[in-house]
Amino acid sequence: MRVDDARLADRIRSGETQALGELYDRYGATALATALRVVGSREEAEDVVHDAFVTMWRKMDRFDAQRGSLRAWLMTVVRNRGIDRVRARRSTVDVEEADERSLLRTGPNPTWDAVVTRTSISDLRAALATLPDEQRRSVELAYFEGYTYREVATLTGVPAGTANGRMRLALAKLRDALGGSSAASHVGQDATLSKKVTS
Amino acid sequence: MTPSLALDCAAVDELAPAYGLGAVDPAEERSISLHLQTCAEPHADARDLIDAASLLAHTLEPVVPSAALRDRLMATVQSTAQDHRTTPRRAYVPAPEPQRRWWSMGALPSAVAAAALAAAIGLGAWGASAQAQLAEREEVLRAVASADVAYRVSGDAGDGWVLQSGSQAMFIADELDELPTDRHYALWLIQADGTTTRTGAVTETDGVAVVALEDLLTGSVRFTVTIEEHVVEAPSGEPVLTAQLGA
Repeated sequence: MRVDDARLADRIRSGETQALGELYDRYGATALATALRVVGSREEAEDVVHDAFVTMWRKMDRFDAQRGSLRAWLMTVVRNRGIDRVRARRSTVDVEEADERSLLRTGPNPTWDAVVTRTSISDLRAALATLPDEQRRSVELAYFEGYTYREVATLTGVPAGTANGRMRLALAKLRDALGGSSAASHVGQDATLSKKVTS
Repeated sequence: MTPSLALDCAAVDELAPAYGLGAVDPAEERSISLHLQTCAEPHADARDLIDAASLLAHTLEPVVPSAALRDRLMATVQSTAQDHRTTPRRAYVPAPEPQRRWWSMGALPSAVAAAALAAAIGLGAWGASAQAQLAEREEVLRAVASADVAYRVSGDAGDGWVLQSGSQAMFIADELDELPTDRHYALWLIQADGTTTRTGAVTETDGVAVVALEDLLTGSVRFTVTIEEHVVEAPSGEPVLTAQLGA
């Protein structure tokens, strides 16, 4: 986690509302982009972002920097809140329970925060664009549209294992393309596997 | 791996990409989170894939929020107490109290318990639709995640779970291979000294099989399933499903 993010988290935890404002200024635009991509409506997206930052405020005492970055937690909450809104049409959702799960999640290590910091949006998009259509579609259905890998399998007409495998290959390629791996010994193996499967 | 976890290392590694993308069921998400927090194995590759998924939010062009949103947020925060200032801090209990605790069925005969659980979690409608299947599967997974201990069972005949909570053990399998009418799946517990105990049977393979075991998992090192024609005192064939217990 960025050092100043850690300090920001401490200040928010101590009840400093201005620190929450600084967190919003730092990540609000990225959060809104994610929310808008998920829910599709600007008005709803702003509600999602509002609620996500209020969650940050309320639950910061429970945030564990050892388990992931503040940025990743925020984006998880934003995404989950957005997905909950989309899913609310077809089932009852428990937002509080989803927030609790987000606190348990394992998030990016500092290496990956550094990747995000040094990599431009265009580079990230370029890496995403190199993926075969079925792999890119799988991760987008999952991450931005909130489908589980089993639902992605149903939607794309493949077995669940294949859907999960496509997600694996896609993420491995993003990882390799951006060079943020903390498990360097595994990167070459996965890259080779990706080439074999997609060629 | 820590025995009390509901997912083993292989399952966590397998599901890591979907977990990173937020594309697993809530019960799976909780189990994977807890596993990664407590497992002695590094799961380095899985963690890398999870990390990579977090980049997707940053492939989008930032969208500048309206000024009104910041004002609204700050007004809300000013009037909202932080949780730790209003309630005593407590450890998060990851698995919510299940609405229907199947293990409270206690001494009910296995067939009755299985039928009751199947009715309770709606498995009678299994196969009605894809969405219904997903919802029902989530119920099963919630039961798995809520158990004291749960082990993945896998093999040529399919896969499933064997789990224990309190004084009840249960076997749950999804879509076991269909058998001829004169065969059934026999469930076995095997102790370290090789002693084998028949602990139940599966006779219906249509959809999800749920069987209350006649014995607890405690003290056994392996759970296996064989295909039998008759009720026998020891397995007569090779296991078609197996789980290492306490591994």
